[in-house]
Amino acid sequence: MILTLFWAFPVIGALFTLFSPAFNLRARWVSIICAVMELYLVLQAGMGFWGGRLASLSEPGKILTYGISYSFSMDGLSWALCLLNAFLTVIALLSSWKQDLSAGFWASFLFLEGAVMGVFLAQDFFFFYIFWEAMLIPMFFIIGLWGSENRKHAAIKFFLFTFFGSLFLLLGILALVVFHHQSTGVWSWDMDILRAPNHGLYAILAFAAFVVGFGVKIPLVPIHTWLPDAHTEAPAAGSIILAGVLLKVGVYGFLRGLLPAFSEWGMKSLPWLGGLAAINVIYGALSAMAQMDLKRLIAYSSIAHLGFCVLGIASRTAQGLAGGSLQLINHGLTTGALFLMVGFLYERTHKRGLADFGDLVSQAPILTFFFGVTVFASIGLPGLNGFVGEFMSLSGMAKVSLPIAVVGVFGVTIAAFYLLPAFQAVFLGERSSASVSPRVFDLDFREQALLWLLIIPMFIIGLHPGPLLNIVGPAIGKLIL
Amino acid sequence: MAIPLSVVCLFAAPVSALLFGYFFLLKRKQEWMHWPMILSCAVVGVSAASIAAQVYSGHILDVSPFKWMPVGAWSISFGVRLDGLSAIVLSLVALVGGLIHVYASGYMEGDPAFGRFFLAFHLFYLSMIGLVVSNNYVQMYLFWEMVGLSSYLLIGFWYQKASARRASLQAFFTNRVGDIGFFLALLILMNVFPAAHARFSELFPLLGQGSLAISWVGWLLFLAAIAKSAQFPLYFWLPDAMEGPTPVSALMHAATMVTAGIFLMARSWPLISLAPHLPTTIAAVGAFTAVFSGIIAATRKDLKRILAYSTVSHLGIMAFGLGLGEVSSALFHLVTHGFFKAALFLCAGNIAHALHKSTASVDETGGLLKKIPVTAVFFTAAAFSLSGIWPFAGFYSKDAILGAAFDRGGWASVAGFAIAFLSAFYIFRMLFLAFLGPREEQHPPEHPHEAGPAMNVPLFFIVLGAIGIGWFGTQFYHLASSGWLGVSPLVKIPGFDWSSFIRSTSMAGLGILAAYLWTMKWPSFDWDWRRNMPWIETMADADFGVKPMVAALTLLVEELSYLLGIFWDKKTWDGWIENTSLWAEDAAKTVSSLASGRLNDSLWWILLGGGVMLLRLLK
Amino acid sequence: MNHSLWLISALLFVSGLCAVVLRKQLLVMLFGLEIMISAALIPLVAQASFFQDSNGLAAVLIILCVAAAEAVVGLSLILHLKKNKTLPDTDALANLKG
Repeated sequence: MILTLFWAFPVIGALFTLFSPAFNLRARWVSIICAVMELYLVLQAGMGFWGGRLASLSEPGKILTYGISYSFSMDGLSWALCLLNAFLTVIALLSSWKQDLSAGFWASFLFLEGAVMGVFLAQDFFFFYIFWEAMLIPMFFIIGLWGSENRKHAAIKFFLFTFFGSLFLLLGILALVVFHHQSTGVWSWDMDILRAPNHGLYAILAFAAFVVGFGVKIPLVPIHTWLPDAHTEAPAAGSIILAGVLLKVGVYGFLRGLLPAFSEWGMKSLPWLGGLAAINVIYGALSAMAQMDLKRLIAYSSIAHLGFCVLGIASRTAQGLAGGSLQLINHGLTTGALFLMVGFLYERTHKRGLADFGDLVSQAPILTFFFGVTVFASIGLPGLNGFVGEFMSLSGMAKVSLPIAVVGVFGVTIAAFYLLPAFQAVFLGERSSASVSPRVFDLDFREQALLWLLIIPMFIIGLHPGPLLNIVGPAIGKLIL
Repeated sequence: MAIPLSVVCLFAAPVSALLFGYFFLLKRKQEWMHWPMILSCAVVGVSAASIAAQVYSGHILDVSPFKWMPVGAWSISFGVRLDGLSAIVLSLVALVGGLIHVYASGYMEGDPAFGRFFLAFHLFYLSMIGLVVSNNYVQMYLFWEMVGLSSYLLIGFWYQKASARRASLQAFFTNRVGDIGFFLALLILMNVFPAAHARFSELFPLLGQGSLAISWVGWLLFLAAIAKSAQFPLYFWLPDAMEGPTPVSALMHAATMVTAGIFLMARSWPLISLAPHLPTTIAAVGAFTAVFSGIIAATRKDLKRILAYSTVSHLGIMAFGLGLGEVSSALFHLVTHGFFKAALFLCAGNIAHALHKSTASVDETGGLLKKIPVTAVFFTAAAFSLSGIWPFAGFYSKDAILGAAFDRGGWASVAGFAIAFLSAFYIFRMLFLAFLGPREEQHPPEHPHEAGPAMNVPLFFIVLGAIGIGWFGTQFYHLASSGWLGVSPLVKIPGFDWSSFIRSTSMAGLGILAAYLWTMKWPSFDWDWRRNMPWIETMADADFGVKPMVAALTLLVEELSYLLGIFWDKKTWDGWIENTSLWAEDAAKTVSSLASGRLNDSLWWILLGGGVMLLRLLK
Repeated sequence: MNHSLWLISALLFVSGLCAVVLRKQLLVMLFGLEIMISAALIPLVAQASFFQDSNGLAAVLIILCVAAAEAVVGLSLILHLKKNKTLPDTDALANLKG
């Protein structure tokens, strides 16, 4: 019941928020109260995962029809991601606090939170897919209604792209279900039961369908081009959730859906997946170097960083899987913080080009400090969180394929080549004469508090990732080859 | 295992100073920022001294109290290893670094960013301390990167200047290129040995296994050291790093940044010496770097730039010594160089301070001997030390390396001669140009003033070291041999060798003589050759082609990223994807044109459909 | 069963169809429809008398009623159009154009 509450509570909260104006309630207050309660709920339910007292929490449901059963389960990995989701939703809602937005905006985030919770918790592929699709709807409205100038184009592109991917995912799921029925005569949609055939074209096609289906969300090159547009046009809060949470479901799908189902011949597919991830890392990093728009640049950096997650996961070693999962959390924190700060800048100046700013440090030293720390976390400076995930992922991959790991190491290096110049251009460089941007006020208390909330975990994970690794550890243990 | 208080203090003092400074002083009392830092330096200095005494008496400490990244059997820990090697470099960093802190509190007085300066400065100090006491490679990498970060913050301290921003980026990027080597070396080590063996004490006894991988690791670590310790061809960031305030240069050149690479190679010597051809390559690269940058140093006019190229040259000498197998002598040179180079930089800082500028060209100096005599005396002592004149400190360490070079013979002894000559030449050229004269081309300030006690007192102690640290050679080698992993047979006290003494000292004397002729006998010569043969200066300015190549490479990467990120990804590939929507539209238009909307046309379609169904029925 | 009856029925049906498909005047098209229905009724009547089965005649009566009802609906539509537009011509009724 508690797991149902996980996804149902935000959805009910979203409905409340949506109709709150009718009862003369402030929508933003209703939404934030719901989000905080949800965060508390998630924290409370998962306390057992600390220190490994609890391995998993499951809620088996009765079979409805054709083997579809309403069942949920949560292990350490799901819980960590649920926590990230609940946490970033609170951050995202607070990030737009001062903006005068309609109830729909606040409700969308809660609805989105609920849908993502469902994805992280579903045990049954049918419900997994339903939540997977449900995520699209609020995000489509967030981009399309509250985005910047080119929002409609970006929203439609986002929808079509990811919907296209979802169809492949559906195909892949159906392939597994049908195969299971043919071989055992029983219908089932349970993730723990469904297994792909060991060889043959059928298995390869199913595998490819899964990779495309999850890959669009990650996103894997070359099906990534929706991301820069969606990020650029989305409102700041939308970008935070998009980068912090929505991209994670693709990798989560790899971990939960793809790897167990194809474990029999997974070994053969690993170099392919690792190669794709390495391409992601280099491609994202090099492309980011050329971007002149802050949000676009961070979007490409997301592509590179998610590449590290897949790299670690594709290795299927203990450290690789742990590093990949950790990188999911890390990326949520760092990129979330980056988008948050770019959002603050955009709120103040309505600009986001690299050339539009300069010498912000003299006006906003606190913002500069936070941005600097986050940039260094993002380029993998040891002691901050990014390094731990990248290092563990790469050392996992090095066990499987050294050349791919070498490519990954180059990606680590290039990360500095795009983020630091951008940081310098915006915060240190001279103010360009073309910019007639008004004075940028430094962060107020709310904004600083939000950033501290994101930055303190960066240091903690960077220096002491042990507890988090212990939480994630048992969940990925069964995936190790 | 109990961790001694001195070890705890090594980290606790700087960290608490930094936190206190950031949270309490930065906004309210930033002019007090230097106090917690200097206090922390004092605590660290005392701890380092007690650690050195412990190690000297043979007590080695190697503990890993904290787990950093534990995943089942795979795990990385935080730990410290205090043996001869780390005790020596730790003492150097603590002592010279602490004195430079005091100097900086005078030099930076009144700077609007005084607080930020000391925070970054102390972070630099902390990173280096962490680096030298690390007991495994991964932790070392952490501090290695933190050294890079703090150098970035300090080189770009005056971020308002475009050149400072560029230099800081260049330094960070170049080091990042070297970090590829370190990172890959880590991955290979993790791969070949279980993770716990990133610990030196567990790793080095196992080195017999996996020899090909081990030689790869050796080469990769050398790449890391090339970038961090400014060896050819990745040296170019160091001269540009002069953009930072002078105390930063002093700290970076003497005690922290560049010594990290040499330290890494010394630490990894058991690994490096196993790789075929690697030691010889290191020696060759070091010798070439030393001669190459020595030549460039002799043509520079900016005082700090001369010293910067001189540092590159001396790092080359250290690598040269390492490669020749004289690891402990190279380390000795690292220590003596730390003192005399810090002294020289602080003297240059005194000059710049007297001129109220961040740096000075020889054109703005001349005849400073009479105006700032204390600085002149300090500078002269340090210059003798650098040239390797007996009995100054530089002599003892340099002579050990040159002696090994002469023993090797062939190219090594040629390089040894060149090095001895060049370093004496460029430093005395600088000395004569700046302090004697002035010549007619020079325009020294009318009334420069000597620096205050906050600057000159620490400088005095550093100069003392530059003069006298060489006399403690026996103790140094004893300390070095205490628990140095794998190198113990290599630690030998070089005997006093008359033949190498005569050769190196005569070359140094020749260098001083040449500098005298160059600057005193023909006072305008340094300006004349620039006028008459500008192409030489153009070539030297371009570092004989290195700078244009770096620029071309940078441009290439930028173009590549543009091609991929904008031209291909956005315009071409995404363009195609977006075009699919146009195709869909076209297809829809074609189909919809069939539906004219006229009733008769629809009826024809119905008729057609009915006909098809009828045919199907009849069949 | 007389072959000429079949022939007449077919001729009537085709001429009705032609009227519906080829002409553009709605009224004529409605006539064509009626003719087609009537043409279909001729064999029905003939077969009913051939098999001596009154069920066939009942079906004819029902179809006639339906045709009448349809004519009423069609005519009223045409009249409605006539009120709004000048010509109840099918070319003017292309609202469904894609």
